[in-house]
Amino acid sequence: MQREAWAVFLLLFLAGAVAYAHVTTTAEEYSRYNVGWNGTSGFAAVEIRDLTDLDPTAILLIFAPDQPFSPDEAGSLRAFLDSGGRILIADEEGNANQLLADLGSAMRVRPGNLSSLDRDHAAPGLFTVSVVGNDTLFAGVETIRVNRPAAVEGGEPLLETSPLTWDDADGDGRPGGKEIFRTAIVCAREGNLTVLGDPSLFINAMLPENPAFIENLQPVLVDAAHSRTGTTSPVINTIAWIQETPAVATALIALGVLPVAWRFGRKRDE
Amino acid sequence: MNHRALHTVLAVAVITALILLAGEATTPLLYTATNTSTAAHVDPATVPKLSDNDPDALIPLMEDLLGKTGTLTLNIKLKDYESAERDLARYAELSGRFAELVINLDISRTDIGEFQRNNQENLAALGALLDDARRFEDLQRVEIQIKGDEGQRAAVIYEGEVLQQKLQGGAAAYAGREDVTIRIADRYGVNATPYRESVRNYAEIVGATVSRQAEAGESSPSPLSITVTPDTGRYGDSLSITGTYTGGTAGTLTKAYVDSQIAGNAILDESGTYACSYRVDRIPAGLHLAYTVADVIHSNVATFEIRPDDTTITLTLEEDRVFTVCTGNLTTAGGRPVTLAPILLRVDGDTPITTETDENGTYREVISLPAGEHIIKAEFDAVGYPLSASESPGATVIVPSGGLSPFPFIAAIATALGSGWYLRRRHRPKEVAPAPEPVETVSVEEEAATPPLVDLAGLPPREAATVLFYALRSRLGLPEAKTPRDCAQLAPAHAGFFERYEQIRYAGETPSEEELRAMKEEALGGEEHAA
Repeated sequence: MQREAWAVFLLLFLAGAVAYAHVTTTAEEYSRYNVGWNGTSGFAAVEIRDLTDLDPTAILLIFAPDQPFSPDEAGSLRAFLDSGGRILIADEEGNANQLLADLGSAMRVRPGNLSSLDRDHAAPGLFTVSVVGNDTLFAGVETIRVNRPAAVEGGEPLLETSPLTWDDADGDGRPGGKEIFRTAIVCAREGNLTVLGDPSLFINAMLPENPAFIENLQPVLVDAAHSRTGTTSPVINTIAWIQETPAVATALIALGVLPVAWRFGRKRDE
Repeated sequence: MNHRALHTVLAVAVITALILLAGEATTPLLYTATNTSTAAHVDPATVPKLSDNDPDALIPLMEDLLGKTGTLTLNIKLKDYESAERDLARYAELSGRFAELVINLDISRTDIGEFQRNNQENLAALGALLDDARRFEDLQRVEIQIKGDEGQRAAVIYEGEVLQQKLQGGAAAYAGREDVTIRIADRYGVNATPYRESVRNYAEIVGATVSRQAEAGESSPSPLSITVTPDTGRYGDSLSITGTYTGGTAGTLTKAYVDSQIAGNAILDESGTYACSYRVDRIPAGLHLAYTVADVIHSNVATFEIRPDDTTITLTLEEDRVFTVCTGNLTTAGGRPVTLAPILLRVDGDTPITTETDENGTYREVISLPAGEHIIKAEFDAVGYPLSASESPGATVIVPSGGLSPFPFIAAIATALGSGWYLRRRHRPKEVAPAPEPVETVSVEEEAATPPLVDLAGLPPREAATVLFYALRSRLGLPEAKTPRDCAQLAPAHAGFFERYEQIRYAGETPSEEELRAMKEEALGGEEHAA
């Protein structure tokens, strides 16, 4: 009887642990709550939501942005740049182009399906690019492995593909037809503003591919208000809200502890 | 928690786990992740590595190839045929490596693929140039040796004429590829200067043979004439090769040659004329040579041009149980069927399957595909034809799987049955002292009148005490949920009994025979009820 009770409790505990792990993680692209290959749970960064008064010694990473920047926010970023701060925008969908325009930059992200022969994997979008510019981000790095990047136009080139690169418009993984070989730029900069056409460099599966680059980035702040590092899961967002709100956390702890204390007190009275 | 509830929870948990596992059992991802990807990226850990990929060699090889053409033609021009042989062998080796690389990298549809095709034609042209230049030199020597023998001299001059025409055609074709080749070379920063020089050298070599042949042929008109009409054609056209043989006898067999390959036969008629038809089929676009031979007499050489044509290829898929039937047509832009032509069926951009068109330009191939969605394209590469390559739009076929594997379900059912059997076995009543019969709640007075029967024979002392506790609680009409302490409070007259039992039950004490006897008396309500 007792052994069976323990077995049931153990089973329920394990099931509860699995259920907890399930509801507190997600499979959403780039989410820091995604512990899978396409999440960013393994990327060490400090998340911030307020873009004012940023530490100019750190790099601000705006990562796969999917939210527009208000004029005030763009102004804060301009002030950050003017104060010597450095911004790295990693985008491959072109969502950052409006922000780039607001920041007075001529650089633009051109979404596409860049593929290259300069690779050692069967996937044509997973290939190697060369470091062509002198930048601390790529100090000690000769090549970077990118993962389905977009081209970046304008600015001083930092990462360049080999001439055997094409925009795989028909998605068949083979160059041909109207797809012609050409060199493309996937990272460029203008002063302290750098645009990288491949946010995939920060997903869990890609972190081991370019360790020196990831190390050069530190310390890095991630703009969590506009980046896709968040999640739409209400459970995770509620837990995050509780963790970020001390009063609610305290209230919840009290709600958990008080009935137990009351129960123990009653037992003692008996 | 009671026994039945525990078993129910266990059974439900086990069955739920098995159902969840069965749902995933047919999904290979559970076991091995392959080519995991989204629109934004792929998982490098699941993508196979390439072992024979060497794109870095591509552009240097292009430079080497163009460089070889310069030295090769220069050596031919200088009549250093041994050096030219070595250059040609090296050029062929490099071309082979380059072609292999283009295939491995799957870039035959790009401008580099076009460069490779031009290079293959250049290789063939330069090989032919070396052979023909040597042969022409030989003919020059033979002509000097047989001076005075007009019959043999005429034959030599005709062969020289054929060679010269062929050289001229080759030079035109070689020069015709110059613009495209240089444009591609410039795109990749490849030095094309040696190739430009090779085009000039080629033209100079041919120019020299033309001059010498003109000098040799001035005094030797042939009695066998030849005309090709029309002098241009496309795939599927029929060209007429006609002429007269002055002094020839009726019934003489006249053989027609196109590019030194026999192309047809004709019989001289009474008026000394002959005619045969030549159908344009698998022959490259460009300038070609024709001549005829009757007895030992060679005609002059006639030229004609074959012009390129576009093609269209269609593909229709039909499902026939486990097979997929691919059918389609290959036609020229003018609607002519392209007969007996090789067709490639490419499944999912890979795995080419070769088939051939029939006399109507139709092809049919039955292929077996694994379960899943596949995209199939039909391709015609047009190598050796005066036609352009073509490719059908991709057609999609979905091959149904053989159904879900029954294994997970069988395993789930077997496990559920096993769990049921185990639970049922575990649920059998223990062979211990029977608990007192459930007693309906009655008043203490009524119960006292009808004490329960108690059999303590063979029971351990602690269990015997428990049986007596149940008996007294039942006799007093107290609810079964009441603990010894509750009972002591509800029936103070028996508090001693209940407190002693509490110590036995919870403190682990063992009652003596004396105590048991006293408890039994109290439980049964007096001495008269003792067993």
